[in-house]
Amino acid sequence: MTPKFVLQNLQKSFGDKHVLKSVDLKIFPGESMVIIGGSGTGKSVLLKCLLGLLPADSGEIQMDGKDILKETAAQNEARLQDIGVVFQGSALFDSLSVWENVAFRLIHAQNMNRKEAKQIALQKLSAVGLSESVAELSPSEISGGMQRRVALARAIATQPHILFFDEPTSGLDPIFSSVINGLICKCVKELGATAITITHDMNSARHVGDRIAMLHEGRIVWCGPANDIDTCTNPYVQQFIQGLPSGPIQLETDIRHVA
Amino acid sequence: MIWALGSIGRIFLEFLVSTGRITLFLITSLVQGIRPPYYFGQIFRQFLEIGFLSLPVVGLTALFTGMVLALQSYTGFSRFNAENAIASVVVLSITRELGPVLAGLMVAGRIGAAMAAEIGTMRVTEQIDALVTLSTNPQKYLIAPRLLAGITMLPLLVIVADIIGVFGGYIVSVYRLEFNPATYLKQTFDFMEIGDVTSGLIKASVFGFIIALMGCYHGFNSKGGAQGVGKATTYAVVSSSILILIANYILTSLLFEQGQV
Repeated sequence: MTPKFVLQNLQKSFGDKHVLKSVDLKIFPGESMVIIGGSGTGKSVLLKCLLGLLPADSGEIQMDGKDILKETAAQNEARLQDIGVVFQGSALFDSLSVWENVAFRLIHAQNMNRKEAKQIALQKLSAVGLSESVAELSPSEISGGMQRRVALARAIATQPHILFFDEPTSGLDPIFSSVINGLICKCVKELGATAITITHDMNSARHVGDRIAMLHEGRIVWCGPANDIDTCTNPYVQQFIQGLPSGPIQLETDIRHVA
Repeated sequence: MIWALGSIGRIFLEFLVSTGRITLFLITSLVQGIRPPYYFGQIFRQFLEIGFLSLPVVGLTALFTGMVLALQSYTGFSRFNAENAIASVVVLSITRELGPVLAGLMVAGRIGAAMAAEIGTMRVTEQIDALVTLSTNPQKYLIAPRLLAGITMLPLLVIVADIIGVFGGYIVSVYRLEFNPATYLKQTFDFMEIGDVTSGLIKASVFGFIIALMGCYHGFNSKGGAQGVGKATTYAVVSSSILILIANYILTSLLFEQGQV
């Protein structure tokens, strides 16, 4: 099967800090890939490189066989039309109502009339378990968990074939996290989409991932089926999933004596 | 000595880098703004925000400036028995200088800060990244409408400020200094020329452009959470205020050479 995404020797630095040293990864169509790793390991930078929001320094990112690092801004804009993104903090627009957030791309990029776009927005809100009464509210008037659901509704509003999730459960309680995980699985399955999720929440990774890759010190140190993660012998993975203070992952601040 | 030269050089280089970045930001925003689609909802919202909602601040500033100007002019001119010149001094000062400059500075404080804070918050909460992923160019959606509203709304505000400022001078002159109302108004309109008003409106348009550009640029490039947004807001207000004063001198000189002032 031809991969949807191929990352080869991807590198990205900020000054002297080499965030991505050499990332190699393949993601296949229709699969849900979860990238795990500690805080500050470059997961979000990797996601932004994939979206074209940050330019990579060197290496290759192929999407459907085309190197996206050589794309013009217009080509990137066209590519993004088939991609839905849920950001870490939801990133809803405060100046717009909930339904206008969901219908944003339909109205502004697809020139759909507002009445029709609102109907689709209400359907998508319903698909993520939110009632019509929420639609006219401002994002600041709803809870964090509901905001995340609205962000998910916005991401799937145009039925994209690729979905990106940046820490979809961060800051949510276990019940809301579970709801969001369930919704991600449902949306990915219904759309038949290729999904890439960045997280350090292992419950979420196990729940939404077909395969899991671990990013550490700017490299993928392990990649395999989600079911194998608990039995794999990779010391980095074992330290990470068990939350052990000692192991090959060196903490920048030595807190081992606390444990 | 070398240390001092090095510092001057560094400051000069930083100035050049900033100027280059602002110019690039402006060019891309203008290019994006010219190309369709046009976000009329955003443009209308900015017209309302910069124009209509700034009316109370600008109106009050103009009213009291006109009133004070009449009082101060009376104090000075009465020493030379030139009280009759008060009407002309008020109208010329307000239309040529005080109307556009004070309106510019007040709008810089109100709108420049609001623009930088709003766009800066959108930057640090990834809303600008979200716009990109939703196939919307952020400079077209956020910056171009603000630039257009700044350029067009400030002259309209200044027309209102001119009227209110002259009215403030009229109130003080007629009701406190006991001038004849008809004579005061006649002197006001006799001395005022169309060039006095248009030169103020040209200045206002440039000041509106400066306020919108500085507010948007600093907000768009803010980073580092709440502290970064705070810094962006401060830079936006300070830089636009200073640039307004510098631009005011340059424009006055240019208009003076062309015989409009």
